[in-house]
Amino acid sequence: MAADPLSLPPQPVPDAVTAPFWAALAEGRLAMCRCGQCGLWLQPPLERCRRCAGPTRFVDVAGTGTVYSFIVQHRATVPGYLDDLPYVVALVELDEQAGLRLPARIVGVDPAAVHCGLRVRAEFADLPGGEFTVAVFRPVDSR
Amino acid sequence: MSHALAGAAVVGIGRSPFVRSSGRTTLSMAAQAAREALADCGLTAADVDGFTCYSTGDSAGPSQVAHAIGVDDLGWSLSVLGGGNIVTSTVAGAAAAVLSGQAEVVVVYRVLGSQTRYGRALERVEVDGEGQFAGPHGYLVPPQWFAMYCRRHQYEYGSTAADLGAIAVQERDHAVRNPHAVARSPITLDDYLNSRWISEPFRLFDCCYEIDGAVAIVVTSAERAADLPHRPVHLLGAADSNRFGGSVDQWDDLSCMYSRDTAPRLWSRTGLRPADIDVACMYDCFTFTVMATFEDFGFCAKGEVGDYFRAGRATYGGDVVVNPHGGLLSEGYIHGLNHHYEAVLQLRGDAGDRQVSGAETALVTSGAGPFGGALVYGTAAL
Ligand SMILES: [Zn+2]
Repeated sequence: MAADPLSLPPQPVPDAVTAPFWAALAEGRLAMCRCGQCGLWLQPPLERCRRCAGPTRFVDVAGTGTVYSFIVQHRATVPGYLDDLPYVVALVELDEQAGLRLPARIVGVDPAAVHCGLRVRAEFADLPGGEFTVAVFRPVDSR
Repeated sequence: MSHALAGAAVVGIGRSPFVRSSGRTTLSMAAQAAREALADCGLTAADVDGFTCYSTGDSAGPSQVAHAIGVDDLGWSLSVLGGGNIVTSTVAGAAAAVLSGQAEVVVVYRVLGSQTRYGRALERVEVDGEGQFAGPHGYLVPPQWFAMYCRRHQYEYGSTAADLGAIAVQERDHAVRNPHAVARSPITLDDYLNSRWISEPFRLFDCCYEIDGAVAIVVTSAERAADLPHRPVHLLGAADSNRFGGSVDQWDDLSCMYSRDTAPRLWSRTGLRPADIDVACMYDCFTFTVMATFEDFGFCAKGEVGDYFRAGRATYGGDVVVNPHGGLLSEGYIHGLNHHYEAVLQLRGDAGDRQVSGAETALVTSGAGPFGGALVYGTAAL
């Protein structure tokens, strides 16, 4: 479809366990895997809880979190976003559980203004390629 | 103190040329390194009954390489899936095979051809597994992962670009005296600071030099080693640690690495401590890997690595010589097995211009982030 193979970022390949994550995003929800028995959040998702072996399900999260760490990508090493260089990717620690992190692009801010501890909120964006929605994060005070 | 692995020794070392682009197959290069390692210790294919390698599914396997150098019947063959994280387990596994009688003489190798370049993934169109959460955001390759670690360390401990640069400059300075290294031109701190951004806070000179080449080492019992030509290099102990299923993103504290857990295990098993180490071949896929693991192994406190290197404590005449060959940053990236080659050369006293005088112990680390390991070699069994 794309003339330039570098124009699209890598597309996710959902599996039997991760499919609900992508299905939720397609509906404009950010949902993470959680144990239905003990309440532990699990990322990456598992079919059964690693702590109590209870069944898991995907539960909506608030979509708020903190930048735990981040990089500013200057060089084209991964396909996609080449017109957006330099772009920012962060590990966002979600408010639901200490250490529960999602890698995500940070939008709506000068890369020089991003810092560890920055409060961010999820919003939804079409993944170039047309088949998936992703959650990106924007500083909470930027609009 | 005696460790269970202390009856094993490395008796032979071999390697192919290290070059940017060899035009050769992984089988050709691995066979060359294996032949050279056997010739080095005066053994032949007829003496070898074990072969093992680690790879990411990108190289000729142990039985192929053994066959290619004339081994007719391999009694122990083990192909391990993994990278820097698994080097220690692979070498220690070879020693365990020898000590348990499954094999008498084992060749351990790693080979990298031009088809393997971990620093970029421009051909990737799809990602499964944990990568499916990161890849769509343009976040997929090791320089990005460990730049993320580095940033967190800078935030928590105030480490700086100049601290990373001190590591890059020191390793390059060591490579100047290593004819086998691919990058031998000295660099200054300014050169480092002026090198282009890759994944900020990483610049070009924070990243290892990816090349083609192979390294092989020969492991056998200390008893057999006594009859072979070189001073045997004994395995004094090894330890690994694996947490978070290998997830670089979920590892709990990005200011440190697997070595936080490996180090106490290794020191406890060997009865040694950092002050006992003469040569430290620190796995250096990136400058920051050296910084984090050097702290974790207890050579200095958090945030002090830059000062340690600037004070000359990580080179000749200092406390410990770190990567006398120039490491993966400057000798070249053979996925950490070249660190074992260098450690053996140093402990034999055969390192020529770059010999660490009186070297009796060498720490060799491998891995980064949530998993990895380390071992100690010595000139005398514990
Ligand atoms: Zn549970």
